[in-house]
Amino acid sequence: MAQEKTVDLREQEEIWENANPESPLELSVLAGEILLYNGAEIFRVQETMERIAKAYRMDSFHVYVISNGIFACGTENGVVHTAEIRAVSLAPTHLGRIAAVNQLSREIEEGKYTVPQAFQRLEEIKALPFASKWFRLLACAVGSAGFCYLLGGTLWDSFASFFTGLLLYLFLLMKGTQKLSKIMTNILGSGLVTLCSVLLYMLGIGHHIDHMVIGSIIPLVPGVAFTTSIRDFFNGDYVSGAIRLIDALLIAACIALGVGFVLRTASAWFGVVL
Amino acid sequence: MGDIQWLEWAFQTAVAFAGVISFAVLFSAPKEQYIWAGITGAVAWMVYLLAGHMGASFWVASFFSTMVLTALSRVFAIWRRTPITIFLICGIFPLVPGAGIYYTAYYLINGDMNMAGIKGMETLKIAVAIALGIVVVLSLPQRIFRLKK
Repeated sequence: MAQEKTVDLREQEEIWENANPESPLELSVLAGEILLYNGAEIFRVQETMERIAKAYRMDSFHVYVISNGIFACGTENGVVHTAEIRAVSLAPTHLGRIAAVNQLSREIEEGKYTVPQAFQRLEEIKALPFASKWFRLLACAVGSAGFCYLLGGTLWDSFASFFTGLLLYLFLLMKGTQKLSKIMTNILGSGLVTLCSVLLYMLGIGHHIDHMVIGSIIPLVPGVAFTTSIRDFFNGDYVSGAIRLIDALLIAACIALGVGFVLRTASAWFGVVL
Repeated sequence: MGDIQWLEWAFQTAVAFAGVISFAVLFSAPKEQYIWAGITGAVAWMVYLLAGHMGASFWVASFFSTMVLTALSRVFAIWRRTPITIFLICGIFPLVPGAGIYYTAYYLINGDMNMAGIKGMETLKIAVAIALGIVVVLSLPQRIFRLKK
């Protein structure tokens, strides 16, 4: 499964190496691909692509977008071109890239970019980095601690959640170098934070195992998939909404599995009353 | 007594603010939007607390706070000229039913099917309330959310 995806990616790279830098159709598909890949909702992808095509006065332009593919077809200088792209969807969300493409499409409409210039800008956006590793590590720890407190934990529980959150993100960063399916990532990740919470609890740091675990699994909880799914449904994109909803339910089930398994094992082996 | 409660609420709102900004960092939101994402989340949490205090059950509270969250996201999206997704996704995190997932798993492994069912239903109810909250506010016409200059 993972192998199939890498092949797709390589094919895409080749397509873009051979891209015609004068073609508004290809420009619009690249913009759409970046949006879709980084977690934008279907409606936005479609609208942005249409805006770009219109701004460059394409004679005709039609596009169909679902959560893992874009099908576009347009007429340039009286010749009909079609373009198809398979995006690897459900990847990590990068909101900065979505905002940047949105900004670019607005500037294209104002006539600030020629097609090759816009292509160059899109390549820059595509390469926009994530926040630095240390910063994200800290953010995950602070987020875990914060939500532990909000959802009813004491300050000591939050203190423990800070470290389990840190560890969770370390795990997620390390797993980035290995190929690990999304399902396993969520089961192992939630299992790991539960195990750490149990150990910290036994050491006497943190007094409520439930709040500690809840705080630290929040970074895994499928808030993004769920929210985007609702918005896709709202815009009438039922297929994509359903795909993302299944994604959200699957992640939630995986988290429950990871937490449940470790809790059960811990109470059986260590004899702790949880 | 009243004073202590206000203090506690203010502290919680500050924590929600920091927590939501953490998620903005995790999702690599543009730096200039961090604060505004934080504010949407913090205000949503405040509404959640207030609704709970006035006796609303947790899914009613989730519904109202999601409505406020979505409305504020729309205002910021127009004002900051950036996709609504940025504020909505980061701000939703205090409201997602992470606790529901935990308790459902907890009762399931302990063989308490009755409680597991109850907690599972609660989780679903909150999810539906959040969905409804988003949909209701998204259905309102755009001009309401435009700040007058």
